[in-house]
Amino acid sequence: MSVNRFSAYRIMWVFVFFDLPTETKRERKAASLFRKKLIADGFTMFQFSIYLRHCPSRENAKVHTKRVKRSLPKHGKVCILEITDKQFGNMELFHGIKEVDVPQPTQQLQLF
Amino acid sequence: MIKRTIYIGKPSYLKLKQKQLVVQEVETKLIKGTVPIEDIALLMLDHYQITISNQLLIQLQGNNVAVVSCDEHHLPFGMMLPLYGHSEYSERIKYQLVASEPLKKQLWKQTVEQKIANQEALLVLNNKVSEPLAEYKLTVKSGDTTNREGMAAQYYWKHLFNNFSRQRFGEAPNNLLNFGYAVLRSIVARALVSSGMLPVLGLFHKNKYNAYCLADDIMEPYRPFVDKLVYNYVNGFRDHFELTKQAKAHILTIATQDVLIDGVVRPLFVAVTTTTASLYKCFTGELRQIKYPELD
Repeated sequence: MSVNRFSAYRIMWVFVFFDLPTETKRERKAASLFRKKLIADGFTMFQFSIYLRHCPSRENAKVHTKRVKRSLPKHGKVCILEITDKQFGNMELFHGIKEVDVPQPTQQLQLF
Repeated sequence: MIKRTIYIGKPSYLKLKQKQLVVQEVETKLIKGTVPIEDIALLMLDHYQITISNQLLIQLQGNNVAVVSCDEHHLPFGMMLPLYGHSEYSERIKYQLVASEPLKKQLWKQTVEQKIANQEALLVLNNKVSEPLAEYKLTVKSGDTTNREGMAAQYYWKHLFNNFSRQRFGEAPNNLLNFGYAVLRSIVARALVSSGMLPVLGLFHKNKYNAYCLADDIMEPYRPFVDKLVYNYVNGFRDHFELTKQAKAHILTIATQDVLIDGVVRPLFVAVTTTTASLYKCFTGELRQIKYPELD
């Protein structure tokens, strides 16, 4: 199956950006709980406080967005962004001033 | 949604961490990757030195993942599925159990017809003579009492590959076909369980030693898709019949092959669930035709 056929299923990426208060012990706990829930939902760290997840379809992206919404902490700022695989592929990424590759979409077949 | 196929072919520890399957290398303890369990459809274990935690197994079963383990020939040997994969399990099984004999025979007839049609399409696709198959297809009787399936298969195998006889322990490319069918079988069995049916109770297959009779019935029209993959592989790399990692990677793409079902093009993996859902509707009387894929 070609890449085009896959994108007919609208591969999406869900980004979660967050700024959570960590002044008190309770706040730190809430922040780490939120982060753990993201990881349990299949998100991986992209940068500190930016997590992303590959979703094979638009409906699936909605599911994960909904789950993030359900586990929001009481305080702090959280932003959820869904973008298409094409837009994700156009992202420019730098390490220092050196340009690096954008992460590859997850393969349907993975050999370990 | 198309779920993922994970193949493990090296010594590894498999464990669960925050609902993720974690693959760890045995010697270096390096984490080679994590996969969300809910995204997996098929986990293939093809090495003797794989250690898997029970907690992980339970999570895999809870998400209806087909866990397949391979033997020393690297062929799928065992399959593990949850006991029930559908919330209406008990009700659905009732319908399956009381299905009448004429209904089963009708369904088997449809299955054979579509299988022969797909075999014919594959021969046409590769510019081979396919006329006898068209005739066999038109003369299938209820329950296939005249064994058109067998006659079609005999002709089909003779003409698809040269000097080839299809046997389980026969010469190559039988080994590639066996691998492909075993993968297909686990995909179909998984879909049956997730549609709330017993894969044990077949329409036509009744062998008392076979635990996946219904899966073997339902996969028949899908077999030519495996044949197509193997045919293309064998033709692409002449004299390369060994079941290498490359060959397996090629055959494991079976889940993403395009098939035409119900008027739309879908990946095979999704099409199988359409088929099993329509099978259930045939059992309840809502439908008269199983939805099967067409090869074109």
